[in-house]
Amino acid sequence: MKALGLIAVLGTGLLLLAASRDFPNWGDPSSPASSYRLSRHFITQTINETAVPNMVTAVLADYRGYDTLFEAVVIFTAGIAVIGILRRYGNRDFIPAGGEVHLTPKQPDLIVESTVRLLIPVIQIFALYVIAHGHHSPGGGFQGGVIFGASFILLALARDLRTAQNWVAEKRMLILACCGILIYAGIGVLCQLLGENFLDYQILHRILPTDPVMARYHSILGVEIGVAFTVTAIMFSIYSNLSSNGQMKEGI
Amino acid sequence: MIDQAPAIVLLAPFLTAVLVVLVGMKYERACFPLVVLGLCCSAAAAVQTLLQVIEAGTLRYSMGGWPPPFGIEFRIDGLNALVALTVSTVALISAVYSKNRVPEENGDKISIYYTLLLLVVTWLLGMVMTGDAFNLYVLLEVSALTSYALIAMGTRRATVAAFKYAIMGTIGASFYLLGVGYLYIKTGSLNMFDIHEVLVAENLHQSTTVLVAFILITVGVWIKMAFFPLHAWLPNSYAFAPTTTSCLLGPLVTKVMVYVMIRMMLTVFDPLYTYLQLNWGNIVVWMAVIAILAGSLAALAQTDLRRMLAFLIVAEVGYMVGGVWLANTAGLVGAIYHLIADVFMTLCVFLFAGIVFAKTGKRDITATHGLFAKMPLTMAGLVVGALSLIGIPPTAGFFSKWYLIQGGMAAGHWGYVTALLISSLAMAVLFFRVFEYAFFGVKPAEGHGDHHPSGKGKFSEASASMLLPLLGTASLVLLIGIFNQSIVSIITDFVGQFNLTGSIMR
Repeated sequence: MKALGLIAVLGTGLLLLAASRDFPNWGDPSSPASSYRLSRHFITQTINETAVPNMVTAVLADYRGYDTLFEAVVIFTAGIAVIGILRRYGNRDFIPAGGEVHLTPKQPDLIVESTVRLLIPVIQIFALYVIAHGHHSPGGGFQGGVIFGASFILLALARDLRTAQNWVAEKRMLILACCGILIYAGIGVLCQLLGENFLDYQILHRILPTDPVMARYHSILGVEIGVAFTVTAIMFSIYSNLSSNGQMKEGI
Repeated sequence: MIDQAPAIVLLAPFLTAVLVVLVGMKYERACFPLVVLGLCCSAAAAVQTLLQVIEAGTLRYSMGGWPPPFGIEFRIDGLNALVALTVSTVALISAVYSKNRVPEENGDKISIYYTLLLLVVTWLLGMVMTGDAFNLYVLLEVSALTSYALIAMGTRRATVAAFKYAIMGTIGASFYLLGVGYLYIKTGSLNMFDIHEVLVAENLHQSTTVLVAFILITVGVWIKMAFFPLHAWLPNSYAFAPTTTSCLLGPLVTKVMVYVMIRMMLTVFDPLYTYLQLNWGNIVVWMAVIAILAGSLAALAQTDLRRMLAFLIVAEVGYMVGGVWLANTAGLVGAIYHLIADVFMTLCVFLFAGIVFAKTGKRDITATHGLFAKMPLTMAGLVVGALSLIGIPPTAGFFSKWYLIQGGMAAGHWGYVTALLISSLAMAVLFFRVFEYAFFGVKPAEGHGDHHPSGKGKFSEASASMLLPLLGTASLVLLIGIFNQSIVSIITDFVGQFNLTGSIMR
């Protein structure tokens, strides 16, 4: 079995090496990926068509917005899947394979607590900045959402899971995650209701006080906010399920 | 709204999934009607799409209004539309079946289970309809993720099986992604049809990178469709999953991957390239022969009913891969028609296995003892599905095998034809063994006590929510067989554009 595995690995490696013979040169400006009409269009037309200075965000949230909707739903699905597999409702106590884990109640630590109390607002404000500036500078819903979710995880780590749960209960997290997806998909469906294709943001100029190009610009922000909601909620939901063995009682 | 039909096929189950989470928190009983409603909308939109395609030819729908290749588009021809309709119909049938099963098997997580079920349907539909190679990867990844969870929600052994599936599936998806990446390096585009144009226009079919991309994509898809010997993840996953999961995923996942393989071979790479320039048809068909024989023989050795059916899936995948690689019109038409027919016959037998498990609580084949007397309607459903798998007219399985054998003979590949016949015999042995148990076996009442206290009288059929899907599927198997001409004509239109018999003569 091990020999078979080795053969498979060597075979794949040789295949990958063989493919690289025919690659365009490193950083070649005339390589197909950089010279094809696709990238030329993105580089030259993005600012005219969407008014978004950050090309990456424009491709991500507008030209290929349909893909990104599903990327956000990948995270949503992961969260639901973790709940589906791990979560144990009710008081049925589940004893893990390695025997029951007894956690000594955490003693409040002055230094850790004060640091965390000072840090969390800063982290959250930074997260909001990253989300709101996604279409101007590097950042966006995914990154901002992760930072925001991390602030809750930090709270759960520094105090305990219950304290963090008091701030954001399990159900509320799930509702938040659904809202994120509904914001994203809702913008798309709104475009359909106004008579254009799914996620064709420019038609939104009919209800927004802007022209079609700026409608795309603002919708990208809306979409990013939706993604951020989902990512924040699912980050914390996955953490609390994993750390408490699906019982949501005591975390690490 | 009519021109939005392709998007609604996908959006209806997707939005319902999110709603089910929200509604399910408070009103768990509302989940099931919502699921059925969402899937009905999807199926109706799929019918509408198919009618539009038959009437007006290829349908194009640009997501976000961006023309391809800048945006992502759905480009729906006869093949997509047929497979999409199949997927949404199967989803609807298994959702109806799940009415009593989900509360029983996953009672504390009804809304979570239904959400995952709707999401996996969304992904499969998206995979079938998309015209973008990278979008297909995203859906491939997330559909696998959802399937792992749906399988792991079963018994304890299901968790281990799902873990195995997760590892194999991830390898398959990464192979596919690497292949798409290599194509992007050489062509600079992600749209399937655009990639094809660039490959032909710049004569990239000579490039090694494109060759490696083709190998990676094909092997990745083979892992995902459980093509022997890459099938190790499949039997246990479908045998130990919750019964609704096996009814939904068992028929669909492998078949959708066969669709992806056909799409990649014919639309992205050119038939001239895959069939003529590479000229691997002979080797791959022999691999398919081995897959068919191995799958059928392994199925003979099983005592667990659902595990036996899972091995039949492995054999059926061999049928379709072989049919596609025979490289002639009859083989390809047969493979695509078999894809659709096989979805329904596999669903039929999996629904039967689910009902038997629900009624007796046993997974073994011997659980069917005396079922002809107790559950005649259920057994009638099984008989239709089994006869179709064996290939007896007028069921769908007969006609699909007929086309496949024709293709095998046209290609002069006698090994494939023999393998098909041997496998039909093996399936006959398998199912007649089940019939024998069910007809002559000891009645549970006399042998070892009645398993269901409620069954007072002679008959004790399953509840309507389980029986009707089975009977519906059985009649669909018959209908697809009887009206095979109209389905085949759609498939022939699709295959005809590649002009296989003209350009590729052996």
